[in-house]
Amino acid sequence: MKKYEKPTINRVDFTMASKYGSPLKTQKIRNSIDGVDVHKLTENYGSPLFVFSQKAIEEKYKKLYEAFSSRYPNVKFGWSYKTNYLNAICKIFHNLGSIAEVVSEFEYQKARALGVEGKDIIFNGPYKPKEHLKTAVKEKAKIHIDHLFEINDLEEIADELDIKIPVAIRVNMDTGIYPQWSRFGFNFENGEAYEAVKRIHKEGKLVLTGLHTHIGTFMLDANAYREATLKLMDLKNQIEEDFGYEIEYIDLGGGFASKNRLKGIYQPPEVIVPTADDYANAITNAIYEKNKSDKLPLLYLETGRHLIDEAGYLLTTVVGYKRFPDGRKGYILDAGVNLLYTSTWYNFNIELDKHYEGLNEPSMLNGPLCMNIDVIEENIMLPSLERGSVLTISPVGAYNYTQAMQFIRYKPAAVLIDKNSNVHIIKEEDDLQTVNFKERMPKEL
Amino acid sequence: MLAKIFLKPYSALLFINNPYAGAILLLATFLNPSVAISGLISVVATIAFAEFISLREEYLNKGFYLYNSLLVGMGIGYIFSPTLISIFLTIILSFFTFVFSFVLNRLFWTYRVPILSLPFSIITIISYLASISYRDFFTKSSHTLFDINLPLFLSSYLKALGTIFFIPSAVMGLIIVFIILYFSRIMFVLSIIGFYFGVFLHSFLIGSFIKALNDIYSFNYILVAIALGGIFLLPTIRNFLIALIGVSLSVVIEDAIHTLFSFYHIPVYTLPFNMVVIAFVFILYLIGYKEFNYYIKETPEKSLSSYLSHIFRFGNDLVKISPPFSGKWSVYQAFDDEWTHKGDYKYAYDFVITKDKKSYRGDGLELSDYYAFGESILSPVNGYVIDCRHDLKDNPIGVVDRVNNWGNYIIIKADQGFFVEISHLMQYSLNVKVGDYVYVNSILAKCGNSGYSPEPHIHIQVQYYGILGSFTKYFVFEKYYKENRLLFNSLPKKGEEIENVIADKSMISRFTFIIGDRFTYEIFKNNKKLKDFTITVKMNDTGEFYFEDEDKNRLYFYTSNYLFYFYNYEGKRNSFLKWFFILAAKIPLVNKQDIKYQDYLPLYLLCGKIKQTFIEFLSSFSKNKYKYPVCYKFSYLKISSEKGEVALGAFNKGFVSLKFKDFLLKIKSEEN
Repeated sequence: MKKYEKPTINRVDFTMASKYGSPLKTQKIRNSIDGVDVHKLTENYGSPLFVFSQKAIEEKYKKLYEAFSSRYPNVKFGWSYKTNYLNAICKIFHNLGSIAEVVSEFEYQKARALGVEGKDIIFNGPYKPKEHLKTAVKEKAKIHIDHLFEINDLEEIADELDIKIPVAIRVNMDTGIYPQWSRFGFNFENGEAYEAVKRIHKEGKLVLTGLHTHIGTFMLDANAYREATLKLMDLKNQIEEDFGYEIEYIDLGGGFASKNRLKGIYQPPEVIVPTADDYANAITNAIYEKNKSDKLPLLYLETGRHLIDEAGYLLTTVVGYKRFPDGRKGYILDAGVNLLYTSTWYNFNIELDKHYEGLNEPSMLNGPLCMNIDVIEENIMLPSLERGSVLTISPVGAYNYTQAMQFIRYKPAAVLIDKNSNVHIIKEEDDLQTVNFKERMPKEL
Repeated sequence: MLAKIFLKPYSALLFINNPYAGAILLLATFLNPSVAISGLISVVATIAFAEFISLREEYLNKGFYLYNSLLVGMGIGYIFSPTLISIFLTIILSFFTFVFSFVLNRLFWTYRVPILSLPFSIITIISYLASISYRDFFTKSSHTLFDINLPLFLSSYLKALGTIFFIPSAVMGLIIVFIILYFSRIMFVLSIIGFYFGVFLHSFLIGSFIKALNDIYSFNYILVAIALGGIFLLPTIRNFLIALIGVSLSVVIEDAIHTLFSFYHIPVYTLPFNMVVIAFVFILYLIGYKEFNYYIKETPEKSLSSYLSHIFRFGNDLVKISPPFSGKWSVYQAFDDEWTHKGDYKYAYDFVITKDKKSYRGDGLELSDYYAFGESILSPVNGYVIDCRHDLKDNPIGVVDRVNNWGNYIIIKADQGFFVEISHLMQYSLNVKVGDYVYVNSILAKCGNSGYSPEPHIHIQVQYYGILGSFTKYFVFEKYYKENRLLFNSLPKKGEEIENVIADKSMISRFTFIIGDRFTYEIFKNNKKLKDFTITVKMNDTGEFYFEDEDKNRLYFYTSNYLFYFYNYEGKRNSFLKWFFILAAKIPLVNKQDIKYQDYLPLYLLCGKIKQTFIEFLSSFSKNKYKYPVCYKFSYLKISSEKGEVALGAFNKGFVSLKFKDFLLKIKSEEN
């Protein structure tokens, strides 16, 4: 029996139609993730639901690692905790051979609690409270200095503990891309980085063993990494010659793009996003070109988004729809910008749970928040969906879960689908108890 | 040194380069003292002349100067006893032979054709024609001092051999047989077959077997058979047939020349041999004949083993390219396949990425569903980009471009001279432009779906010409992994998944040896230290690098952009040096664990002398007899095989330790 649809009049925009067919007819469909039905998932674990694919994580990791390790013998990945610090996710990366890269004492503690040894933690970030810095020093973490005050802090700690502390400094530089990230670390071009090393050397309480840079995020030009590597290697050579330090490792940070669709860029990600080979080629060739010492430096990479983004999905259910005065169809979903922090700059891939009858019409996807800004898609061509339709939003593996807000609604559950298509709950849905956990009520009230 | 110069031309007449053989042959010529003395005089005269005009390099490097003079001298000694006048004539003609050899060689070398004893043949004609007028002043030479009596069937063969030295005696023949047999069994067999085949054919033509056996110029058959069957061509069945064709030709030519020359009493000597061999070498070299012997070694056996080693280990003259991608890709279409790789376009490969036997995720309705779409395409060769196109759209699934069926493409002219074409590139994804030089595995573009392409894939073919749509040429993939096996010069089958070999440059620097690098090893046997052992890196005059040990044994090696390998060992059969070759014949310069690969080692490394002789002889009839496969397992910084184990240094060049039998070699120190 055919469902009754209230008739509407739509403007047919011929510029959108091409020889490939009309966007009025195409539908993107996904009824399962790694062989698990999306409806089963929402029925069993609730909606909205974050879903992570172990298979996708491992494939992506191995591909990138292989691209580097086949070209360069000493390469190690550091899992960027801020990208996604769900314990199970971190554990998968550690099992694959990643060390931890943290940017706060909280992330540091999280890594330690997961059983990562201090020596396998890179401690980055502009703010490292002194007491926590001291713990990290005692546990032999790799400390990456961001500013001069941290040098002072570390020298004090060195005196207190009566040891020499091995450290690395973070360097920022011009690699020909915009915006240039000059907020973190010491600048290369104006000699600040060199001066910082001079300062470290003068006191003699710290020993420089590494150099770190992080040139930006979602980098669409592999050549910028070549520039960064060349500059870092130049600095390494100069420092080794002038101060006699042995720089054991260089850390190129992260920022490799994922196959997400940036707003304002109209080519598909396959076209504009560099391949793993592009990044690996750019970085390793630059090291070989500049290396002057007998030993090749250990290369650390802190890739987050590139490795996890495409392995994460958000399942959301249509809870209602209405027709806006301008003729657009408006769908109310149970997930909104509270869960999709990255919706500000990405056009997500939105897939339907099945094929729907009827033509596509201009539609808008709204979240459940009682806020006018809660828009996931302003303009999308969709067929007529039903109440209870499940949409799959991807890629959402990076930054969305860690930056999801407990705002208006509880934070949803997250599940992991393992390589045998078994589903594991890795984070339960919040409830009133979780939210109220640390709240205190003054007696007077 | 001087003795060697004198002795070399004697052995060279038998295509052998050995002073001892030369010494024996020189002594043997005294069976006819006239021949011996006259021969010696001519050699001395030639050297004196060459020194006089300061051309020492010439006669030292090139054997033909001296052996042509030697032949001229012996030829005069054969007919005239040494008198003052005949000596004078010998000296004059020796000078002339030298000059004439020089001229002929310059003319012939343009076509890489040897002059053999052609100068001798021509000078002989001149000297005989001239000596008709001088006849009164000469005394006829006496013949050989003594001889033994053997049945005609046998003695004719031996006498023919002796005639090469102007001593047609069975004794001389026997001496030559022993020398040939000692150096090369293949040459011996060729001499027998060549002789009797020629004589048989001759007797058939002239109607008398006895007459044919007694013909004094039948040594030409022997020379033709050896030269074509083992010296200038490789000793293989096919070339044995060519040698026999050459022999038949020389029979006819000999008779023709004999008829003509007998009017003037000029002997035929080696003219048939020279004409036949020069003609055959000329054509076979020019057409690039497959079994031509480009690197002539001391004996046919050595030429053959070096050739076989090369084709088994390195695929010799095949067109070799790298797979044009990194990571694992599957063959979608191979050579001569069902859809588009047909006819003149059959030598092409199509690759896609598959997971769970599918090349796409989901329904495969969008280009982005295809795993291959957007992946990097790497250069398969070193060479110049000579043509490309990048403006065509990537067709959506289900649509193909029938007009521009090659789609976006790149054509590279490889350094080796052939052309590689890669098709269906993603629109505007090219990293290179016309005129760029690209290296193996540099990133060229992204995989797309432009042109006649049902789904995103890489199409690659090797072409004769650098024009789009040129006919394709057979090629192999130089190296790739199939599962954990590293294969060289192979072709993957349809549906097979292969992975490209990406070189780790830190491994390359580990094998970049510089002249003068020294490595000292401590040698332990059953954990008891024996002695120290030092090898030094050296280079010879042709730019080949080798390790040399204290006993002057040499082990030649080469470092390519993805492989370090040993390819030749010269020296004693029992040395520690040769074990480097056995244990690590090839080392892939990669960062991988548990990779298995096979190599074929040269026989002289592993067999005893007798077994080697036997197998070398057999392999001229069946090439596979020569195969001696060894399986190696490579784990980063370690290579192991049934023969032993080698460890590489983490931060040092070269080998850290070698383990084989009861021995252990451990690096002691590295001095530069």
